[in-house]
Amino acid sequence: MSGVASEIESVKAEGHKTSSPESRRFFLSTTFREERFFLILSVFIGLFSGLAVVCFRLAIDWSRISLLGPAPAPHSLRVLFAPALVSLLIAIIVIHIFPLARGSGVNQTKAALYIFNGYIPFRTAVGKFITAALAIGAGHSLGPEDPSLQIGASLASALGRRLELSREKLRLLAPVGAAAGLAAAFNAPISAVLFVIEEVIGRWSAGILGSVVLSAISSVVVVRWFLGAEPLFRIPPITTVKPIELFAYAVLGLAGGLAAVIFAKLIAFFRPRLRALPKWTQYFQSAVAGLIIGLIGYLGAPQIMGAGYEYMDQAMHDQFTWQLMAIFAGLKILATTLSFASGTPGGMFAPALFIGAMLGGAVSGMQHHFYPHLAGSTGTYALVGMGVLFAGFLRAPMTSVFMVLEVSGNYSIIVPVIIANTFAYLISRTLEPTPIFDLLSRQDGLELPSMEEQREESILRVEDAMQTPSGLLLNSEETVHQANLRAQQSQADTFLVRLSPSGWSSITREVLETLDGEGKGEQTLGSALPTARLPYLHPDYPLEMALRYVYQTPLVPVVSRADFRKLEGLISSEAVLNKYRVVSRDEN
Amino acid sequence: MKQVDWKSLICRPSVVIASLSIIAILAFLFVNRLVHRFSEQQKALARRMFAQGQLEQRSGRPDQAIEDFRVALSYDRGNFPYQLNLARALRDNNQPEEAKSYLLNLWNRTPDDGAVNLALARLAARQGQIEDAIHYYHNAAYGRWDSDADAKRRNAQFELVDFLLSRNALPQAQAELLNLSTTLPAASEDLRLRLAQLFARAQDYEHALAEYQRVLAHHREDGSALAGAGESAFRLGRYRTAEDYLSSALRINPKENPEDEQVRQLHETSNMVLQSDPYERKLPASERKARIRDAFNAAGERLEQCAVSQGVNANAMPPESSSPTASVASTPPANSGPDLASLKKQWVEMKPKLTRSRASDDSDLLDSTMNIVFEIEQATQKQCGPGSHIDQALLLLAQTRSGVDR
Repeated sequence: MSGVASEIESVKAEGHKTSSPESRRFFLSTTFREERFFLILSVFIGLFSGLAVVCFRLAIDWSRISLLGPAPAPHSLRVLFAPALVSLLIAIIVIHIFPLARGSGVNQTKAALYIFNGYIPFRTAVGKFITAALAIGAGHSLGPEDPSLQIGASLASALGRRLELSREKLRLLAPVGAAAGLAAAFNAPISAVLFVIEEVIGRWSAGILGSVVLSAISSVVVVRWFLGAEPLFRIPPITTVKPIELFAYAVLGLAGGLAAVIFAKLIAFFRPRLRALPKWTQYFQSAVAGLIIGLIGYLGAPQIMGAGYEYMDQAMHDQFTWQLMAIFAGLKILATTLSFASGTPGGMFAPALFIGAMLGGAVSGMQHHFYPHLAGSTGTYALVGMGVLFAGFLRAPMTSVFMVLEVSGNYSIIVPVIIANTFAYLISRTLEPTPIFDLLSRQDGLELPSMEEQREESILRVEDAMQTPSGLLLNSEETVHQANLRAQQSQADTFLVRLSPSGWSSITREVLETLDGEGKGEQTLGSALPTARLPYLHPDYPLEMALRYVYQTPLVPVVSRADFRKLEGLISSEAVLNKYRVVSRDEN
Repeated sequence: MKQVDWKSLICRPSVVIASLSIIAILAFLFVNRLVHRFSEQQKALARRMFAQGQLEQRSGRPDQAIEDFRVALSYDRGNFPYQLNLARALRDNNQPEEAKSYLLNLWNRTPDDGAVNLALARLAARQGQIEDAIHYYHNAAYGRWDSDADAKRRNAQFELVDFLLSRNALPQAQAELLNLSTTLPAASEDLRLRLAQLFARAQDYEHALAEYQRVLAHHREDGSALAGAGESAFRLGRYRTAEDYLSSALRINPKENPEDEQVRQLHETSNMVLQSDPYERKLPASERKARIRDAFNAAGERLEQCAVSQGVNANAMPPESSSPTASVASTPPANSGPDLASLKKQWVEMKPKLTRSRASDDSDLLDSTMNIVFEIEQATQKQCGPGSHIDQALLLLAQTRSGVDR
């Protein structure tokens, strides 16, 4: 069994151990509820994640200065050889000590949430910390955000296990830690929260949202405390967009969508092929990738090495020609593909942002060249370009918009961002239906829920299966005798009764006749009704919800949300099953 | 004795929170120490790169200097002087947008910082953004400076005036100068001299002369002040005063350089104006008549030369040339206009009157003669460009007829 496989098996075993029924829940005292403690714990997770990310960033900087020198420049032998030599060391560490440290970390966090009951081994965090810091510092084209996310999730998971939280809470701790790690790495809490909700958890709920927000904010506070509040980039003055310029942003969206598809397809193509090579090659795959990247840097483009934030900053300030920025975008796609597909630990957020910034700058420059009246400032395009790749490559449309707004602090840019991101997202979805994280998890043999597929899934609703109300409808105000007389004229055996002031019940023909025969004919139907109130549904409820009730009563009333006494339809178990049969037949 | 249940005790939420708090504090302290040490190392690196950048800048390699400043800044991101120097280097290397971004970043941090405002003002001035430049220059003039604040504030004001003058915004420059004149120390002759020169450039000769005179009150022999005062008086039409100052200036500084040459020319012109002015008080009648005659003759010559250069046949305009034929023959080209012909006619008609007149104090004749002279000088100046010294003197007399310093 390979190192990774055996490691996964041990994670599975640990995960199930954690979820065992014997797991003690010591917090369920009456005075201190687990929910409240969970919120406080989220703050601590944020603090610890923030501290870990600060150390992680220092480690990256330290390794970069030590390995590439204070100012990496072309034609330096360090630039040529450092990535390859360090990659050999990383490969040994990953293969022999930290097999789960490969990759970005987003899918591992999702796997912890959905498969391993929130269990992420602490040693994964340690391994990720060391190997990613070395890899990014040595110039591999990878970013620190995804590893930070995983380090945060891993710390949270370890803390939860230590405190022996319930399985449910333990599962949720991983995304809470992930949000803290990502927020600290990005210095942008809103984007981190949105990303975790959009891509990891996949749903909004008050309980988890509060914890995620608290942890993200506390981690950002820690990072700002130690490293300062300055944003990752200096945002250039953003020019107001003229309506005609929106076409230019649409072009940027198209270009970004295409670039995102190429990027994703390259990774999806190379990664499984490299992994399928003999095991001994894994010692050298990362080194070969490092050598190629070093060569690119040596020959004149050290900008594509590492996370590249300083060069995004320069692109935003018009420091490169548009041709050069287009070349950087292309080289970064190549370099990141090599780094990532070779299994070097590190993230894809920063490279995606780099590609987007360069692409935005290139599109702006090209438009300045050919249509000078159409294009605004390069900085604005570079900024929008970042969001474009986020939307197209990472397939996080909401996060992509808020990320740009949060980083720029300028809401006047929102329309171009939305337009460009929408184009990129649509192009990317059309040409590559499976998002990159889902592709990667499927390549790893994990079937994690795809948030994008879930968002796009068509939901069957009650209104799709309900029947129009055709039978007799009785009122609780009328007497039993009157109701019986009306019932005589109907063929049905069961009648719905509309209660006053609201609510529904039912009565059978037989019961009605019995009540009338017992001399209760002058009583109101409401007072004589022997059965309890019926549950009711609304037309927009998911059809699954109807399943809960249709076995309690043969007919469930479907009522209007505006007027609960207004009957919109009726639903029965037979109608529900029929609908599922039809849909299943159609799909097959 | 009741046995203590340690497990349940340490699992109490309050104990857990307290333990986590202690761990967090310890971790904070550890990371703080780590960050501090690392930050010191980075700052040392940044200082090295910054010093290297300054060397590069002095060696005339701005591109390399910018790169070094960038690296320095990447290791000490919040460093104010690094950002300021990088911004200045970018500005000087024609990368205004990025320079502006750095400067605005600094400005947001310390909007009252004089150096940042001055750098922003210079950038705006270079980009031709007048309103922004004035705004930032004012901020610099009233902002906070770490050392030698008064001098730096004054320099910002002087620079603002220079900028306004370069944009030909004379009224604004004059206003700034008036403001500046109230804040300058009285004993500072150099600054007063600079102020006077700027007043002169702003064409506020009255204040310029006053400031030059304040300098001369302390340094009678200051050549620059004398020359400036002379020029200002000259521009104000106070030729007597101008002549005094200019002759003193020439006496003190007789070197042959372009500035002295200008002083010399002004001096000659002043002299010429004074010698040509028939309106001068207490002038003997014969002298007054001689001056009128000389002026009249000079104007006639000037008219003749100008007519020739413009292709107008002045000789074809005899005194009696009132016949239609003659009039057609003497029609000048369109660009010279009919003025020269009519002026020639007036001049010819006036000549016998002037010759016949004996009454040298005939003020009507004086006025009418000089009116023709002035009209001729103005018309020929317009059509034929500047004339000789005497013509320029007469022209100046024409322009400042009512304001000549007699």
